[in-house]
Amino acid sequence: MIYYATSILLILIGMYAVLVKKNLIKIVIGLSIVDNGIHLLLIAIGYVKDGTAPIFSKPGLQASQMVDPVPQALVLTAIVIGLAVTAVALSLIIRLYDHHKTLNINKIRKLKW
Amino acid sequence: MNSIAYILLITFAGAGITFIVHHLIKPLRDIIAITVAASGLYFVIQSLTEKTKIVFGIADFNIIWGNTPYSNLFAVLIAVLGFLTILYARDFMAEKERLGYFYMNLLFVIGGMYGIVYSQDLISLFFFWEVMTWSSFLLVIYCCKEAQPIGLKYFVFSAIGAYSLLIAIVMIYAQTGNLELSNILQNFGNISEVNQIVIAVLLLTGFGVKSAIMPLHVWAPDSYSISPSPFTALFSGALSKMGIFGIGMVLFKFASHSGYFSYVKIILAWLGGITALLATFYAIFQTDAKKLLAYSSIGQLGYIIIGLAVGTPLSIAAALFLVILHGAFKAMLFMSVGAVYFRTGTTDMNSVTGLIRKMPLSFVTMLFGIITVSGVPPLGGFAAKWMLYESLIQSKHYFLVIVVFAASTAAFLYLYKLIFSLFLGQEEVEWSHVKEVPLLMLIPMLILSAFVLVAGIFPGLVLDPISHAMQYLGNYGFKYETSVLFNEWGNKINMQTVINVIGAVFLIAGLFVTFKGLKKTRYVTTKDIHTSGEIPEENENLTYAVDFYKPFERAIAPALKASIDKIYTAIGNNLEQAFDFLRYVYTGNGQTYAMYVVLFLSLLILFAELIFGIKL
Amino acid sequence: MSPVHFIAIPLFAAFLIPLAGKVSKELVKIIPGLVLLYLSFVSVTLFPIGTHHPVVEIIAGFKPPFGITLYYGAIAAFLTTLITLIGFVIWLYSYKFIIREPIEKYYMLFMMLITGSTGIVLTGDIFNLFVFFEITSIAAYSLTAFLRDRDGAEAAFKYLLIGSFASTFFLLAIAIIYANVHTLNLADIAVKIQDVPVTTRLFVLILFLIGLGIESEMFPLNGWAPDAYSQAPSPVGAVFGGIVVKAAVYSLMRIIFLMFNSHDVLHFLLVMGIITMLIAEMSAMKQQQIKRMLAFSSIGQMGLVIIAFGIGTEPSVRAAMFQMFNHALIKSLLFFSAGYLVFHSGSKKISALDGLGHDKPITSFFFAFGALAIIGLPPFSGFWSKLYILLSIADAGLMVPVVLILISSIIEAVYYLRVVSRLYFYKEEATDVRRTPVSGLIAMGILTVVILLVGFYPNLILNWMTPAAADLLNKASYIKFGLF
Repeated sequence: MIYYATSILLILIGMYAVLVKKNLIKIVIGLSIVDNGIHLLLIAIGYVKDGTAPIFSKPGLQASQMVDPVPQALVLTAIVIGLAVTAVALSLIIRLYDHHKTLNINKIRKLKW
Repeated sequence: MNSIAYILLITFAGAGITFIVHHLIKPLRDIIAITVAASGLYFVIQSLTEKTKIVFGIADFNIIWGNTPYSNLFAVLIAVLGFLTILYARDFMAEKERLGYFYMNLLFVIGGMYGIVYSQDLISLFFFWEVMTWSSFLLVIYCCKEAQPIGLKYFVFSAIGAYSLLIAIVMIYAQTGNLELSNILQNFGNISEVNQIVIAVLLLTGFGVKSAIMPLHVWAPDSYSISPSPFTALFSGALSKMGIFGIGMVLFKFASHSGYFSYVKIILAWLGGITALLATFYAIFQTDAKKLLAYSSIGQLGYIIIGLAVGTPLSIAAALFLVILHGAFKAMLFMSVGAVYFRTGTTDMNSVTGLIRKMPLSFVTMLFGIITVSGVPPLGGFAAKWMLYESLIQSKHYFLVIVVFAASTAAFLYLYKLIFSLFLGQEEVEWSHVKEVPLLMLIPMLILSAFVLVAGIFPGLVLDPISHAMQYLGNYGFKYETSVLFNEWGNKINMQTVINVIGAVFLIAGLFVTFKGLKKTRYVTTKDIHTSGEIPEENENLTYAVDFYKPFERAIAPALKASIDKIYTAIGNNLEQAFDFLRYVYTGNGQTYAMYVVLFLSLLILFAELIFGIKL
Repeated sequence: MSPVHFIAIPLFAAFLIPLAGKVSKELVKIIPGLVLLYLSFVSVTLFPIGTHHPVVEIIAGFKPPFGITLYYGAIAAFLTTLITLIGFVIWLYSYKFIIREPIEKYYMLFMMLITGSTGIVLTGDIFNLFVFFEITSIAAYSLTAFLRDRDGAEAAFKYLLIGSFASTFFLLAIAIIYANVHTLNLADIAVKIQDVPVTTRLFVLILFLIGLGIESEMFPLNGWAPDAYSQAPSPVGAVFGGIVVKAAVYSLMRIIFLMFNSHDVLHFLLVMGIITMLIAEMSAMKQQQIKRMLAFSSIGQMGLVIIAFGIGTEPSVRAAMFQMFNHALIKSLLFFSAGYLVFHSGSKKISALDGLGHDKPITSFFFAFGALAIIGLPPFSGFWSKLYILLSIADAGLMVPVVLILISSIIEAVYYLRVVSRLYFYKEEATDVRRTPVSGLIAMGILTVVILLVGFYPNLILNWMTPAAADLLNKASYIKFGLF
């Protein structure tokens, strides 16, 4: 249960950062926190109490005693995707800083209406 | 293959070919355009004797093309005017640029009109209607920078019209599940009465825009006056008749089932009357000849709409007679004004004056034109106007008679101004170099002049096809006995003699006055006037036409200020402002957009029960 | 040949291109063309097969519902054909248009985008769908900023910000679904989700609506779209309008029809479509920049598509597919011609286009052609799809959307024709002697011919639309074939 609560908390914290913080880098950090929250949620879904790794490592091990491997695979993929997005975001921020000399999102509004 | 297929194929393919040829071999372009129009005319005449029907499937619909006596009437008008316009355009446009564009769109317009009259299903009707609309839009904006807002106005009004047609079509489809005209006409009575009226009103609005009925007319004066003259002749002569064509179909083929429909008809008749009257008044005060003719055109269409809306056999006959005549004389008038423009480069009546000796044949065309408009014998306008008055009196629309009569009388004022300022009056030195227009431009004008003369002397020639058309519309034909004019002398043959006699009287009187006056005539210039001791200023415009109807104008000025055009402009501007306000939603701040997403999410969650019917 | 080619080959090409860049620049340009030509060929040959009977491809030998499957049915056949053909035309246009280094990165990202889009259309696995979505999105963010200018970076960052939100919600939805049904196969989910509590389903639906609604440019989730469309290079604008959005809308509709098919959801879509369309068209009215105007018009058109999907009957879904096809073609044509118009006039502003029709007649002709077509005037293809949408709405007994669609068409006509009349009817001296390259003209010419051809013979496309619509609406057959 604690995992679910933490993951939702993480998502909310991330959302807060994205929606309220004005610094571009903080916004990106917020996005990463949201991502992590969801990853934790996914893992928590697959978690079985006292479960082992999903490998038939010793005889007599039942499938119900293992944690669900699928969410873990999903999370691995999602982490990679999150990394890529963060990388693109940071490189865009470098470009933005070059042009605008600021990291304040409120001041980067050349395209509007 | 039969004639109708040939007509449409040749015209549309010809349009494309003309455009391509323009970019390859310029001299061939005119020949091809004229050939296309001529073969269109040829096949239209061929199709008069056959009754054909082409059916083929496109998308999920059956497309049906065919001709009826009613469509034949209009097809001939389109074909003749189309051919003559292109003939006229050959020399008129010779010096202009982008002729490939011009001819292509002109032929598209002609093809679109053929398509409209030959369509026997609503899909192809709408298809051709839109083709005609956008190609005519492209012609309106052909000339110059000033044409841009005018063209846009034309297109917006056309689109409003076209889309009310489309809504009606969609409604018909939803109600009857079919878009073939014959089927719709059979099943139309099964639709609920309210829907019948709504559909009919929508259709009338759609067609009414093209025929410039009063609250929907504001596009017409500007568009008519700014488009190139050969096209204006076609625009006013034939294109506006497509609206009339549709109104006729709606009034007599569609909605005759419902009792409420008589109210619609009365409203329509009154709108026609108001159109006729107001447009005439506006016409009087124009200083630009083309604009004057544009208003005159709107007024004349008002008469036609009255005739159709009143709906007695005599009034329909009068309306259809006017359709043909208006096609001819308005084309003549626009061509003749176009001729003046061709030689002088302007259509401003305050600067052009006294061209009668320079351009006698153009003058004759215009003279014939205005005699027809004003309804003086011996030309065709007389019989048509007479029939209209008589039908209104017979059907006890006395107020309408007064309105029409007032409009008709007022029309004399602008007609007189038109011919006087351009052709009569003093000769200006500025225009001393002016010559008569080339032969190819004269031919169409003279052909049409001859036609209105013949139509005046032998109205039976025109009334017979009209009678056939009316039989198609409502199963009753026009009988000569229904009119006092024809009845007095028994039958139409005597009628011709009578008109001949009247015509001869006018002719002899005219000749007498002319020759009697000719001896004492002295040609004067604008400077050769008595100024009663007041010395005119250097730059004062002394042309006769300046302030032609000043006292009258002063009397009626307040009424003219309240223009519908201004109301529309205000609505348009305000709407645009309002629309503009909306785009400030896009603030440019990425965080705001993210906020929208979150807000939208919370809204969906909060109001889930309201939106999805399930409580979260 | 199998549908796997649609994903594997462009993905392979995407990694090949940087290597090829070491050898020769020409090779970089030619590889995507060859790939897309081959894929078009594959899609045309597979088309009849997929339309008659769905092909389900099992990846790596795991049988459904455990492994990832590709579901190549009628609608996937239609969309992959559309994507590959439009992709090919876009490549043809890019060939001379993208002259700015690094060319190999442009084509690499372009290939990734094609991979992602075909993947979205083909996959039968919801997490796989998410992955392809991310591939598409990341490629799209980078392409938006490809010109390396100030505004491009800004647009790309906004796109990224909102796009990350989309993927977050998408992933959250997947997590919830998995927690409840313990499967990721779409067909399997469609079966098992019926037992899930209705509130959970609704919450998942809302998450999907937000996540996919962002990509399908639904109001108010479309703040990124005008910026991204207008700042990306013109062919990329065509990619967004012609390919990415189409894939997104498809996946949204697929998920809705599979999992949450109810009247309320469809009505909600209908209303959202109307709002999206009206606001976008109104915003487009006074735009100063031509590409931004096109972007808003694009959003408006997607609104129209969503309206048609929201009616939810077979004729309306068919009409929506047809509209998607037409919009992909016409909007690409508009972006192509606008790209060169901007290039020749040297400014993104509409007011700079005065008199270009005189100077650059062919490019301007293409723009005017596209403008008339997208308004829905006959004899162009846009007429038929708009007509079908209207008829299907009226058939469903609604008249208000019909009127609203037509009003928005009038607004559309106003702003498009304003540009057209500027192009043609202001006279100005020729200033730019550069000519539009032949490859660009051929690309536009192909689109023009197809638009006219479909305009005169709509059955050409319409006949294939019927099975596609049936495929989208028929949940039972999806489940049957998706699970064997």
